[in-house]
Amino acid sequence: MIGHDVPAPGGPHDLDDLLLPAAALPHRPGRVREYALTALDRELEIAPGVFFPAWTYNGTVPGPVIRATEDDLLRVVLNNAGSHAHTIHFHGIHPANMDGVFEVVPPGESFTYEFPARPYGMHLYHCHATPIKKHIHKGLYGAFIIDPPKPRPPAQELVLVMNGYDTDGDGENNFYTVNGLAFYYAKYPIRVRRDTLVRIYLANLTEFDLVNSFHLHGDFFRYYPTGSSDQFEYTDTVMLCQGQRGIIEIEFANTGRFMFHAHQSEFTELGWMGFFDVV
Amino acid sequence: MEAVAERRRWRLLAAVPVVLLVAAVTLFSTVGGSLTDLVGESPPPADEFDVRRVELRPGEIRIRVTNPQRDDLTIGTVAVDDAIVPYELDGPRMLGRLRSSTIVVPYDWVEGEPLAIGVTSSTGIQTVHEIAAAVETPGASGRRFLGLGVIGALVGVFPIALGLLWLPALRRARPEWLAAFMALTGGLLSFLAVEALGEALELQAALPGPLGGPGLILLGVAASYLSLTLLSHRLGGAGAGGVLGGVALATLVAIGIGLHNFGEGLAIGTSFALGELALGSFLIVGFMVHNVTEGLGIATPVAEAGRGASTARLGVLALVAGAPAILGAWTGGFVTNDLLAAVFFAAAAGAAFEVVVEVARFVARRTPEGLTSPYALGGFFAGVAVMYLTGLFAG
Repeated sequence: MIGHDVPAPGGPHDLDDLLLPAAALPHRPGRVREYALTALDRELEIAPGVFFPAWTYNGTVPGPVIRATEDDLLRVVLNNAGSHAHTIHFHGIHPANMDGVFEVVPPGESFTYEFPARPYGMHLYHCHATPIKKHIHKGLYGAFIIDPPKPRPPAQELVLVMNGYDTDGDGENNFYTVNGLAFYYAKYPIRVRRDTLVRIYLANLTEFDLVNSFHLHGDFFRYYPTGSSDQFEYTDTVMLCQGQRGIIEIEFANTGRFMFHAHQSEFTELGWMGFFDVV
Repeated sequence: MEAVAERRRWRLLAAVPVVLLVAAVTLFSTVGGSLTDLVGESPPPADEFDVRRVELRPGEIRIRVTNPQRDDLTIGTVAVDDAIVPYELDGPRMLGRLRSSTIVVPYDWVEGEPLAIGVTSSTGIQTVHEIAAAVETPGASGRRFLGLGVIGALVGVFPIALGLLWLPALRRARPEWLAAFMALTGGLLSFLAVEALGEALELQAALPGPLGGPGLILLGVAASYLSLTLLSHRLGGAGAGGVLGGVALATLVAIGIGLHNFGEGLAIGTSFALGELALGSFLIVGFMVHNVTEGLGIATPVAEAGRGASTARLGVLALVAGAPAILGAWTGGFVTNDLLAAVFFAAAAGAAFEVVVEVARFVARRTPEGLTSPYALGGFFAGVAVMYLTGLFAG
């Protein structure tokens, strides 16, 4: 399945905001980075003709990419316009009262999380209101990038958040995706350049299943677990449990169309599959 | 003149509740929503499809789905063995109540292996239909028509004709033994009635809600029971005290058995069409053994009458009782409709019950000690037991 035969919802550039992160800013301790997240109940078409009653940050699943440089002061406002109480729980180092566990925000109210961004790496955020399983699988999560003081080498940067949807409420996922739409990148392959380093910020927020994975065809990449050190593994397949994340760096050896997908065949065939067009 | 006026008034008065009901329904359907809102909100619909038929063709799966609920139901994605597949629709995507569509999936299925077909609604509810072992769905062909006909004849007509050959022996039997055999006929018909009723209830339970309900089964049972009562009344009009005997009773028994055998043929044909039944020779032998006793049931009232029935008449009786198995096999093999099948099995049960009643009245009147004679009791029990034991072969 490739191109227009693929049963994927959405149009050509629908996921650009989630796929392409804003550029990293240089290290300047104490700079304030402000983000506003609004919790919204949204009916999202996550597979062709299939609608999921999602709980979202800013109307998308996953929510927007939050990016800061280490030692920035992050100020994230949560406005709850949904029908249930929510929070934002950030992974990283922060004070106890900014953890998004006790500061539950009822519908119609808001809360501002404020903390210095650290440590550098690829992180994530998600709602931690109870029941947690429900609040996560409904769609309240997103990628959270903290850039190191010494900038990473220039690259074409991409964000891929792996998830699943249990549309019939039986505690098992019916669809799997990256960035929220089944088979989206099989219908609209991601164009990358062979002469440019490609950096993928990868996170797993799949509920119900123990693990998810990322496998690239036709090439090998460096995988930096959590992106928080120089240690990497040279491989073509990585496995992540829920909440695990990391940074992938590839210099493609060849041009052409290369598949990427979960190396759980079931997930692949239920929507978690896409292509890179290397030019 | 007065009588006509009186009749008119009677009709007018009878129409009053109907007119008031129509008025109330019209009023309620315009303002009813606000009334039910006082009680609470309706739960969301189940959004499950009714998978009516799955046909496996080389490189292709055809899935016929129906919307069994009041609310509209829209087809979203289709999965085979938990893998989303591209498909085409022969029919609408959004199905109104009881509307159907056929989903055509290009798919290279593996013969003999299980298949799980999942159809997901626009609301994300997946209906899964499982096929135990994939085999190609046979198309209509002359060969197959002939094959099903032969099978129907083998399990229907042949064993009943064989059973009728007991007639000369029965003619020489003592009256109390004849009573025992009549009671045996009652026993075997009771067995068939219970079997058919069970089958009907099982089919009904699997039907989508708006179509089914146990009342549907009562409808079928009552229709056939009452029709046969009327028929027996006509046949026995000249008889003594309304109790049927002889060839007339044998005809009724043959009709009851015939309806049952239509059901048996239907079950064989349907299972074969759906690839659920391995039609081994053992199974056909099983049905043959099972059905021989049905011939005995028809022969007994004929023997009791003492008068000779012509061979042609016996042949007709064998056909009435046995040939429906052929028709059933054809029907089941080429068209499947669970609703008709449920009503049909209910009708078979009703017919068998009615004939049991006729047989009981016959035994009660014609045997010295009536229904409580050890011959009658033993015969009835033997009838049930024989059907159960021979049924084990066909199981």
